[in-house]
Amino acid sequence: MLLAACAISGRVLAQEPSVQQQLNALQQMLREMQTRHQQEMDALKKEIADQHATIEELKKIPAPPAPPTQPPAAAPAATPPALPTGKTPPGGPPLFPTTDDSVLLPGTLPQIAPPAHAPGGAAPIPTTDPSMLAPGNFAASPITLASGGKSYLNISFDAIIAGAASTAHDLGALEVGDHDPHTRGFNARNIELALDGAVDPFFEAFANIVFKLDSHNETSVEVEEAFAQTTSMPLGLQVKAGQFFAPFGRINPMHPHTWDFADASLVHGRLLGADGLRGIGTQVSWVLPTRWYSQLVLAVQNGEGGTAASFRNTGENGTQFGRPTIDRQLNRVSDFAFIPRLEMSFDLSPTRTLLVGASAAFGPNDTGVNARTQIYGVDAFYKWKPAKSEGGWPYVKWQTEAMLRRVSARRGLNDSFPTSETLTDWGMYSQVVWGFSKGWAAGLRGDYLHMQDSPFTMEDTRQSRWRISTNLTWYPSEFSKLRLQYNHDFLQSSSFLPRRDEDSVFLQFEFALGAHGAHKF
Amino acid sequence: MKIPTLIAAALAALLTASQAKLNVVATLPDYGAVARDIGGDKVEVTVMAKPTEDPHFVDARPSFIVKLRAADVLIEGGAELEIGWLPPLLQNARNSKLETGKPGRVVASQGIRMMNVPTTLTRAAGDVHALGNPHFMMDPIIAKAVAKHVADAFASADAPNAATYQANYAKFEQTINVKLQEWGGAMLPFKGRQIVAYHDSWPYFARRFGLVSEIFLEPKPGIPPSPSHLVKVIADMKAAHAHAIIVEPFHNRKTAEKVASSTGAHIADGAQFPGALPSTESYVAFMDVIVARVVAALKE
Repeated sequence: MLLAACAISGRVLAQEPSVQQQLNALQQMLREMQTRHQQEMDALKKEIADQHATIEELKKIPAPPAPPTQPPAAAPAATPPALPTGKTPPGGPPLFPTTDDSVLLPGTLPQIAPPAHAPGGAAPIPTTDPSMLAPGNFAASPITLASGGKSYLNISFDAIIAGAASTAHDLGALEVGDHDPHTRGFNARNIELALDGAVDPFFEAFANIVFKLDSHNETSVEVEEAFAQTTSMPLGLQVKAGQFFAPFGRINPMHPHTWDFADASLVHGRLLGADGLRGIGTQVSWVLPTRWYSQLVLAVQNGEGGTAASFRNTGENGTQFGRPTIDRQLNRVSDFAFIPRLEMSFDLSPTRTLLVGASAAFGPNDTGVNARTQIYGVDAFYKWKPAKSEGGWPYVKWQTEAMLRRVSARRGLNDSFPTSETLTDWGMYSQVVWGFSKGWAAGLRGDYLHMQDSPFTMEDTRQSRWRISTNLTWYPSEFSKLRLQYNHDFLQSSSFLPRRDEDSVFLQFEFALGAHGAHKF
Repeated sequence: MKIPTLIAAALAALLTASQAKLNVVATLPDYGAVARDIGGDKVEVTVMAKPTEDPHFVDARPSFIVKLRAADVLIEGGAELEIGWLPPLLQNARNSKLETGKPGRVVASQGIRMMNVPTTLTRAAGDVHALGNPHFMMDPIIAKAVAKHVADAFASADAPNAATYQANYAKFEQTINVKLQEWGGAMLPFKGRQIVAYHDSWPYFARRFGLVSEIFLEPKPGIPPSPSHLVKVIADMKAAHAHAIIVEPFHNRKTAEKVASSTGAHIADGAQFPGALPSTESYVAFMDVIVARVVAALKE
């Protein structure tokens, strides 16, 4: 090789002896020398490794064994790992290597013991596969910012963009959730930055920061969730603290991008609130020592503001349940919102699972000094997924929730409202989603909401109504989806509001970047 | 003096009660099979994923939380195969024995040199695993390393039976060593031959037995086969003289059949997990069947 390089450089010099070319030729020579030395070094290293292996074998074998065969000394090329050759040593059966140090990382658990005796009582042959140690076969681990186990923090970013068409002029008044499409045309009301990771050996923490573009394309920021929870309390206990979704029902604690429909259900948006029920507080949960899954949860939150719409909420225009609100402060323990929940799950068969829950929320509201609200809910979730499923498909999911809210609505600020009332509102939804083919799902949802009619309480959200929704979703991958949804709304007349029918169509697109999300059941 | 004695007695009672049988949870059926071989009748093994389902997408059924809460040992891959469903289960299980770094948490990929570790991370390449290809249990030599790891974990969680676990490991190792001769011998005539896979789950198997696994029906990991990609696959297969396609129970076999009929290739109905095919409950029985099926497809 050296000679060849010299010859080449000599010829080049003879023809056009420029300094640049001389340098090039020298460079080439040096490169070739380096390659050759590297190859020699590799071969030597391999030889040493093989001899070490042989020594190790000899140490472990009590009786003097047959002379070990030497692996081929030729340095293998840096191609995909060469396979051990199935050599047949004289007088023995075909021997296949039973160890391969190259599959293990050096200095880490576990260590493989030396190979045992081959069949037929033949002496074991130390066989390693040093070719697999050739550099370049195993890339160095990438440096990652947002991946499990490689950084202190998982980061993900998720955006929902929805195009909307509707017969309703004010789509924002028809839709009940704050992250639902609010205007005809394009909407981006749920752009979410999610962070999570272990704080230390005792806590793990989560944060969801939501950026919302309103109808005027102004961005508002919501700290949707920011909490830490314990990781290793005894007896199946866990304590959580911070800003978090109240553990009420099934949809409330779920982030909108995990919903099966493009908008919130009526009960969720109207009885818990447009933003659902969430707030600053603490929560204790206990996985009961039963043979089936059962968990008891108790959350205590301030229950104040727009994210606790039925509780201490002064209201955007200074009214709650049609009454001018008093701005009630926390004075005693009973002024908090208490949210208990019990959930249980049963495996009906290896392919069918049922999860049922009962929740409640108790707390004061802002219509008077002793005014209180109670909300009760039951929920069920059933999923079927066959034993042979690719990418999670096919499946059938059925989910239903029913809620009842009792509000003692007092006479408001300075007793200015003519009367006190107890408003009993209730409703439910039920939805079925059928993942019929890999990447495709069809959904059907029925919604009903009963708002107690009152000749006194005028609020444009107090209208009994039902809705039927159907949709088709395509998931190009786990990290994106495209959903087409049709809603038919029927709103009944009340003492203040006329009846009306509305039709809406949404085309929702979602994409997710960053850490791989995990899905709760 | 009385109270400490009582406490000690109570603790001892608790300990003996908990040591009636070692509770083992395995995320995937291959770890479960190894755990049964190593634990024998001293352990109670629960496996979360079904052998016939896609291990990337397992439902985080709440009943697993109950199993994890009572577990003494958890065996997981640790190479992102279970990333979509194990973390929320562990969060809810609140079992300090299973914390990362504790002897009760067996991370099977620990100490294994992973193949196909991506140099750049982008999901434009499909659902790639940052830590490398997680289908390493298809290499019996790696399976031995995992079995040793499991035996050590069992021994430390259940010291009175440590000798049994180590003896079972020795037996497992010896069986694999003997079997490797058989499997390696059967595969020897096909050294260097192409095996087409639906998903890139066979690199470790191919490396061990001298096959080449470079053509996949999926255009990118986790992305379903598109017609244009299959045209390319058929051309590639013809160029590489590839005559065997391996599919797993949850893959769309019709896609593989179409490709097979255009190329004259044969389909091997394989699997990644013991129990996915008839009479393959143990790791060795499973590998017996896989090797036989791959050999049969390559032979034709």
